[in-house]
Amino acid sequence: MNCRRLMTIALVATSGLWAGAAHSEETVVWWDFLSGGDGVRMKQLISDFNEAHAGEIKIDATTLEWGTPFYAKVQTSAAVGEAPDVMTYHASRIPLALTQGVLDEITPDDWEKMGLSQADFAASTWDAVTSDGKQYAVPLDTHPIVLYYNRDLLKKAGVLGDNGEPKGMDSKEAFTATLQALKDAGVQYPLGSVTADGNFMFRTVYSLMCQQGGELMTGDEFLVGDNADKLRNALAVLSDWTKAGLQSTYTDYPATVALFTSGEAAMMINGVWEVPTMTDLAQQGKLFDWGAVELPVIFDKPCTYADSHTFAIPKNQGKEMSPEKRDAVLETISWIVKHSLFWATAGHIPAYAPVTESAEYKAMEPNATYSSLTANMIFDPKTPLAGIAGPIFDVMSNYFVPTLNGEMEPADAVESIQEELNAL
Amino acid sequence: MLQDRRKNLLVALALIAPFAAIYALAFAYPTIQMFRISFTSAPLIGAGDWVGIENYTRLGKDPLFSRAVWNTLYFVALTVVPGTLIALMIALGVSRLAGRLQALVLALFFLPYILPVSVVYLIWDWTLNFQFGIAMHVLDWLGIPRIPVTKSRTWFMPAVAWVTIWWTAGFSILLFLAGMRAIPAEIYEAAALDNASRWTTFSRITWPLLRPVTALVLTIQLILQLKIFDQVYLFSIGGRPNENMVLVYYIFNKAFQQNQGGRAAAVAVTLFVIIVVVSVLQFQLLRLAGRRRQ
Repeated sequence: MNCRRLMTIALVATSGLWAGAAHSEETVVWWDFLSGGDGVRMKQLISDFNEAHAGEIKIDATTLEWGTPFYAKVQTSAAVGEAPDVMTYHASRIPLALTQGVLDEITPDDWEKMGLSQADFAASTWDAVTSDGKQYAVPLDTHPIVLYYNRDLLKKAGVLGDNGEPKGMDSKEAFTATLQALKDAGVQYPLGSVTADGNFMFRTVYSLMCQQGGELMTGDEFLVGDNADKLRNALAVLSDWTKAGLQSTYTDYPATVALFTSGEAAMMINGVWEVPTMTDLAQQGKLFDWGAVELPVIFDKPCTYADSHTFAIPKNQGKEMSPEKRDAVLETISWIVKHSLFWATAGHIPAYAPVTESAEYKAMEPNATYSSLTANMIFDPKTPLAGIAGPIFDVMSNYFVPTLNGEMEPADAVESIQEELNAL
Repeated sequence: MLQDRRKNLLVALALIAPFAAIYALAFAYPTIQMFRISFTSAPLIGAGDWVGIENYTRLGKDPLFSRAVWNTLYFVALTVVPGTLIALMIALGVSRLAGRLQALVLALFFLPYILPVSVVYLIWDWTLNFQFGIAMHVLDWLGIPRIPVTKSRTWFMPAVAWVTIWWTAGFSILLFLAGMRAIPAEIYEAAALDNASRWTTFSRITWPLLRPVTALVLTIQLILQLKIFDQVYLFSIGGRPNENMVLVYYIFNKAFQQNQGGRAAAVAVTLFVIIVVVSVLQFQLLRLAGRRRQ
């Protein structure tokens, strides 16, 4: 009995081997953390890829939990030679990945094979995957935060411009006046903000700091010179809106989206990845007339925080990748990056410039409207402490929540943040 | 005779060996490694340099570590004794019921215990949500201003403690019920003949005879709650993680978020020592108190 079963298994195994050898098809093991609306779109891209490469390359994809679980698993699996052949990676996590030694360099030779080069990407995006003049990932997109707005409510309050965008986008006073006008028109929350989630608010606060030309890290030190004041100014703007009742308080992420889509909040600052939520609702006829634009210029210049989804090749310990496999991986990355027009329907701005310059992309709304912000992007400071779900996020968010909800004065928050950051 | 003993010994060794091997591989070896790594600058994966007791001396100067210690102790204070008392009261109530009704009520109280922590978190997160939670509508109805329960410094620990008691009380109730059933019925009959009041019956019979079970429940609870992580982590993701820091969360952060295996191991060793000291102390205290009574 046992013996027979063993034989069956052996037979099946050898026939599988034979089939593999006959086609010489390369299987590319792929890990990603895309589980939302963008995950659905990536699965579509993968199946398109598999169809186009039938018999040559097959992507074997697995989706894992976003954030710390994903990155912990990548690190442990690379250490024992069990990492995938290609994976998605946040550009902001690259500095930490380099100290952990989990990423393989993308060599000039690789770039040539992929048919991609520095000229195809925005300067800030290219810089985000570069360390000491070497590249460690291939950017797929940039995903900044934008300002979503409800045209119906804005029109009712008389703050919708002739171009169909909100009025008062050029100064703190003007934008506050827009919010106030919405409040006066009976809107419960003129601005929906994820005020219960400091991690999330880091993106907004950091954008506002950058609008004053501030930086978080100078060399190895945090908030040097007047950067502390710039952080305080940024927090003060947001906490003033809370005090004036212009922004939702203690609102977590799902609640913020719900407040906006139900029309209780007239505007919302959120990531571009919520674009599919709005598009889908609008298609079903369940949403008002909506739009999304670059963040208002509250201080001196336009600036928006962004991160980038990239593709990286893990450095598998004790397991060298064969040249054939590497070529297959490079083809995979190159194909997906060049076909990222469909990826743009997930809201993300494709990193590959020929895609965003195409007529098809320019016809996509509201994507084409907000994609101009790629000229004004700022990425995380390059340190192993930064990045999504990193320690800087934690320290900041700890003080953002009380400050943005009016429990703490911005000045006290900045003092504590400075102290804790420098203790890291 | 001698031959027999040797044979017995061999058989015994052969039977113990699989367990001993797995225990050594999966428990003893990692524990020894943990102690060793705590004296090095190791990252999460791989070896590091020997740094002596630096990882430990740094803990003393780390404000986040002392916050984690205090929060853990605060959480223990909020859950261990109150949780045990609540379980005892529920068990007393359930024991007065009989038959199917008792089984039903017991099942209802036990139900939360079988839920995974992520489900427990979701249920309570929805209940306490500041914008949409049911609890907030109750507050509105009572005319009390809404409280951002899991986002405020004051309410976070009590709320998580409450959720934990709600979640884990079922098991303690079972232990208490088993303890009560072990008390011989004759003693209660004798007490009834002597016309003892319900309070006297409880304080003179049930409570003293339940002492071993109470000690067990307290010890289990104490060790469990010192290792608190899941609920605190889930409720504070994105919120105010450092404010709500507890020891195991701190270990997780150091190891998996900041890639500092050595420093994480030092915290783990500290927690290990705290648990050993506290539970030995508690056990001795309970034994001493028990002896004085007799």
